[in-house]
Amino acid sequence: MLFLIAVHLALAAVVPLLVRRLGPRGLLGVALVPAITFGWALTQVPGLERGAIHQETLTWSAGLDLRFDFRLDALALLMLLLVSGVGAAVLAYSAYYLGGDAGRVGALLLVFAGAMAGLVTADHLVTLYVFWELTTVCSFLLIGEQGIKEQSRRAAIQAALVTMLGGLLMLLGFVLLGEAAGTYRLSEILAAPPHGGTVPAAAALILLGAFTKSAQLPFHPWLPAAMVAPTPVSAYLHAAAMVKAGVYLIARLTPGLADVPFWRPVALTVGLLTLIVAAWRALRETDLKKLLAYGTVSELGLLTALFGAATHTAALAGAVMLLAHGLFKATLFLVTGIVDHQAGSRDLRELSGVGQRLPALSAVAVLAAASMAGLPPFLGYLGKEATYEAFWHGDTPDHLVLVALAVGFVLTVAYSARFLWGAFAHKPGVAATKVTLPATGFVLPAGVLGVAGLLFGLWPHASNVLATPYADHYPSPVERYHLALWQGLTPTLVLSALVIVLGLVVYAGLDRITAVRQRLPALPDAERAFERTVRGVNQIAVGATRYTQAGSLPLYLTTILLVVLVGPGTMLLFGTTLASPAPPDLVAVQLPLAVLVLGAALGVLRARNRLSAVLMVGVVGYGVAGLFVVHGAPDLALTQFLVETLTLVVVVLVLRRMPVRFTPLERSWRLRWPRWIAALGVGLFVGTFAVTATAARTVPAVSREYADRSEEAGARNVVNAILVDFRALDTLGEISVLAVTAVGVASLVLVTRLSAIKPRRVRQHAAHNRRTEEDRR
Amino acid sequence: MNVSTLTTVFAQGPVEAPAIDFAAVAPILIVFGGACLGVLVEAFFPRHTRWTWQVVLALLSIGTAGLAFGLYLREFTNPTTTLADRLAVDRPALFLWGTLIALALAAVLLIADRTIEPGGSFVAQAAVRAGSVQDHALNIAPGGTGPAGMRTEIFPLTLFALGGMMVFTAANDLLTMFIALEVLSLPLYLMCGLARRRRLLSQEAAVKYFLLGAFASAFFLYGLALLYGYAGSVKLTDIATATTAGDRSDTLLFVGLGLLVVGLMFKASVGPFHAWTPDVYQGAPTPVTAFMAACTKVAAFGAIVRVFHVAFQASSWEWRGVLWAIAIASMAIGAVLGLTQTDIKRMIAYSSIAHAGFLLVGALALTEEGRSATLFYLLAYGFTTLAVFGIISLVRDADGEATHLSQWAGLAKRSPVTAWVFTFLLLALAGIPLTSGFIGKFVVFTAAVQDGMAPLVVIALLMSAVAAFFYLRVVVLMFFSDPAPDGPTVTVPGVFTTVAITLGVLVTLLLGVYPAVALDWVGPGLAFAP
Repeated sequence: MLFLIAVHLALAAVVPLLVRRLGPRGLLGVALVPAITFGWALTQVPGLERGAIHQETLTWSAGLDLRFDFRLDALALLMLLLVSGVGAAVLAYSAYYLGGDAGRVGALLLVFAGAMAGLVTADHLVTLYVFWELTTVCSFLLIGEQGIKEQSRRAAIQAALVTMLGGLLMLLGFVLLGEAAGTYRLSEILAAPPHGGTVPAAAALILLGAFTKSAQLPFHPWLPAAMVAPTPVSAYLHAAAMVKAGVYLIARLTPGLADVPFWRPVALTVGLLTLIVAAWRALRETDLKKLLAYGTVSELGLLTALFGAATHTAALAGAVMLLAHGLFKATLFLVTGIVDHQAGSRDLRELSGVGQRLPALSAVAVLAAASMAGLPPFLGYLGKEATYEAFWHGDTPDHLVLVALAVGFVLTVAYSARFLWGAFAHKPGVAATKVTLPATGFVLPAGVLGVAGLLFGLWPHASNVLATPYADHYPSPVERYHLALWQGLTPTLVLSALVIVLGLVVYAGLDRITAVRQRLPALPDAERAFERTVRGVNQIAVGATRYTQAGSLPLYLTTILLVVLVGPGTMLLFGTTLASPAPPDLVAVQLPLAVLVLGAALGVLRARNRLSAVLMVGVVGYGVAGLFVVHGAPDLALTQFLVETLTLVVVVLVLRRMPVRFTPLERSWRLRWPRWIAALGVGLFVGTFAVTATAARTVPAVSREYADRSEEAGARNVVNAILVDFRALDTLGEISVLAVTAVGVASLVLVTRLSAIKPRRVRQHAAHNRRTEEDRR
Repeated sequence: MNVSTLTTVFAQGPVEAPAIDFAAVAPILIVFGGACLGVLVEAFFPRHTRWTWQVVLALLSIGTAGLAFGLYLREFTNPTTTLADRLAVDRPALFLWGTLIALALAAVLLIADRTIEPGGSFVAQAAVRAGSVQDHALNIAPGGTGPAGMRTEIFPLTLFALGGMMVFTAANDLLTMFIALEVLSLPLYLMCGLARRRRLLSQEAAVKYFLLGAFASAFFLYGLALLYGYAGSVKLTDIATATTAGDRSDTLLFVGLGLLVVGLMFKASVGPFHAWTPDVYQGAPTPVTAFMAACTKVAAFGAIVRVFHVAFQASSWEWRGVLWAIAIASMAIGAVLGLTQTDIKRMIAYSSIAHAGFLLVGALALTEEGRSATLFYLLAYGFTTLAVFGIISLVRDADGEATHLSQWAGLAKRSPVTAWVFTFLLLALAGIPLTSGFIGKFVVFTAAVQDGMAPLVVIALLMSAVAAFFYLRVVVLMFFSDPAPDGPTVTVPGVFTTVAITLGVLVTLLLGVYPAVALDWVGPGLAFAP
């Protein structure tokens, strides 16, 4: 298993070279890789009947308990057969469909096939997630195509975004689930499912992930949008394989998580709603691919409901429908691709008479569409019979489900007919489309898949073998349901017939229904909601960037200061009781000094002239120094005076080289009041805090110790004692730093003097520059 | 300083030199020694030979430091402290040292490159006014020999910053941490202003970084002083002991912690202290941005983890709420504002803000898992982001680097290899499996969930999805658009840059495919020094 996946990924690197050498037909060889996987999977089927399950494990990181665990049980085998079989067909088909881009698309398709094989056989939640994201990336790169069109770029991003978001949430669900269960191994989790605690949250997140991947309402718009991709990609990723991953996940986990109260109702409601709404939308699309895409969304809804129902028969029906849908939808996409390729259009209003020109192709399409509509003796019929059976015997809620299913199937029949008519019929009033004949090899893969749907229908035993072991996860009803073409004259048979007839009636009356619908108010459009969300987030981003990232230093600083106010500031206000500080020793002269300091500080703010601003800053400093003197710290005051004076001199020297006045300030009050608030707030915060902090002291102050010990040091002056005794090394260090700084400043001054520029030459050069620039213009 | 130490000082007893475990601190000593030698090279060697000498010296210093580190690692058994308890030598510190040394080696290679930008990405004469005659003359070939060589002081500056970072991550007390903070910051401020091209932008970035950084340092220092007032010690373990006793003023503790956090978050460019990041990342010369984005982040978060886990674990339930808010703000700011950026360097800057939020989520998980997850994330993110900036420096037009996103349109058609490598790196930043980014996110988020922070993880995942959008936008632009007719060209890098980028890409891949190499190393037993 591991080996096969590795082969997929490794050979993908060679595909572009191969295609360059052999042309697009080289992809026929590439198709062998999934074909071999398919063959290997077939050899595992007999083992399945015996109950032997193939397992593999590879330790990824022992410390993290990360492992690549693979386990090939019934469900995994069914999915593996589907993805490898369809994969081989699609790659063979691509050899004819693709042109210049074949190397890249082929390589990515192969990587995707490998990732999908890994996804369905993974037995470890993280392994599953790894492959899940790998498919997302492949899908993203494949939808983008050459990306010449704006549309494909948007579609690629939309698909990646929606599924990646879902995937990440799902990862969290996985982690919660794994932690609750104590293991990340799926088989162990399912054997002993965890309960309570975080499990419901995990289940909700996992459902979200599954819904986004399988394009359930309201996450579905990405899938129709993804139809801009080349048709093989649509057929494989967006019909047969990738979008099944979500459904597969639901199928995989329902046996363990169905006990979570909301799991069944949510899966059923979302599934059935999707079934009906998307089928309804399929009836009005004119692009054949879009029609099929909505059909896919609708069928995925059906599968979600069936797998989420958590009963034996429903699971059986789900497994059969999974296989049936993979076969017929891939066929129909491939057929559409051929029509598009040969006739140059896939708009059903333009195509006319294609069926006459391509009878073999239309026969294949009829096979597939019949399976889609659930006609006997096709596989789709087996699935639909089982579906009715699953809900026929229940109580009222089950019957409601049955009604919804029937409505969905009626619409399905209608859009199946519409597809056939749209693609192949001769339309009155439309000129017959010019069609070139396709190569046999081009039609063959579609033919094989289409016929497979018929064969599986004719031979129900095969489906029984593949689907029953999965359904056996649930207790079997008393009358065990077996897939068979003829179950006797049962009520479900009557229902089937009724649905088909009604479907055809709806199709016949489509014009009238359209007229009615146009008068109804429009349903909320999920596509528009997505667009609005994206645009909204963008607008927020633009707005926020404009206001917060204007490149303005004051603004940045204001932000930081405001956060300081909000964080530590509120802690100071509410977090603690303010200890009342000891009343300060007030001296009368303090008041004028304080007024002087405050006045000068305010003056700085109003100053227009640089020099006066600097002088006023000096006044603030001298005022504070005065306060030191009043408090009996003359040495400190002296230092402060010296520093202030020196700073003043240095700044004035610098000011010589600067303009006299400040650049005119932004006078707008709107811009300035937040800064005022921030400044005042921070001032208050620091002030309050200085007062509180001194009162909050619990350890005796170190200054007392200094004073007491200065005698011991033989000093009368405590400051001297501190400087030369207690902290002598600090002093030495400070002196050294000052010396180094002085040397540095001196050398800087010398350097500037040496390289001083004569102003005249600058002007000359500037003039020269201007001239050359004008010349250039 | 408490009373007992005072007594020793006053008693004038013999001062005992603290025991130094030279084997343990050898890497730091070698880096600082190399830096000092680099200064001497500047002083005594003729200008035209300096580049060679400096490159050899820088690479040799980092290489020898790495060797000394490796030798010590084999003997390392128990977490311990050295230099009178100033430095902790434990597994987290050693892991971060190793990470820093490896990242710095790659960063120095980027800095030393002279093939991409003739003469190097750094200005030849920083003191010359931008746009003046001299400035102009420096970029014109004198006699056809090409533009003047770059300022080679950048190498000793890098080494000083690296040394500061190494001390920062191992500092066992707040004062050492503060000094290390300054030692690592001051060279960075200067390095930001040395770009050869767009000099005004570069100088503006340096000034902004410096002014805001000075504020942040002041906050850190203020917080430190308050915590000293609270605990009577600046040692992290003493603070931890004080918080468990709980008989002291909570005001001092929480306001002190708050201010300390402001300083630390600023360095780690965590929102809302991020405002400088886009401007500085954009303005600084790209190799310096690479160095800054990778190494500063590692150092800052190394210190954050140490502070939270060692000193404030016991009081965590009282402050964790605030940090939740900061983490959410950071992730939201990074992811949402990143959406509309049109300059690739600014975009990566916002991405780094978002990643800082993710890292904070890991750092807030105060368990051994949280610790090891954060360290792993740092290693992974460091290498990825280094390679990202390496690639950015390659895409150029006549005016230097072509950083406007529109210029990257259709790059895959001009240079498929560059585009694929860049795509891989972007996917790693987005956290896609099989890249180191995924494992990093996975371990961080798992640790956070285990520590009961599931709501925060939900937000983190939502923001990851939003952030994925702008990474994908670049991928779309490179692959799915037509190249502009006069678009930039991709320079074929010289050996240095090639080695650096290759190293980053290989580590990103290796840690994504086989994370056990690093995870075993940060695995169980990640105890801090007592």
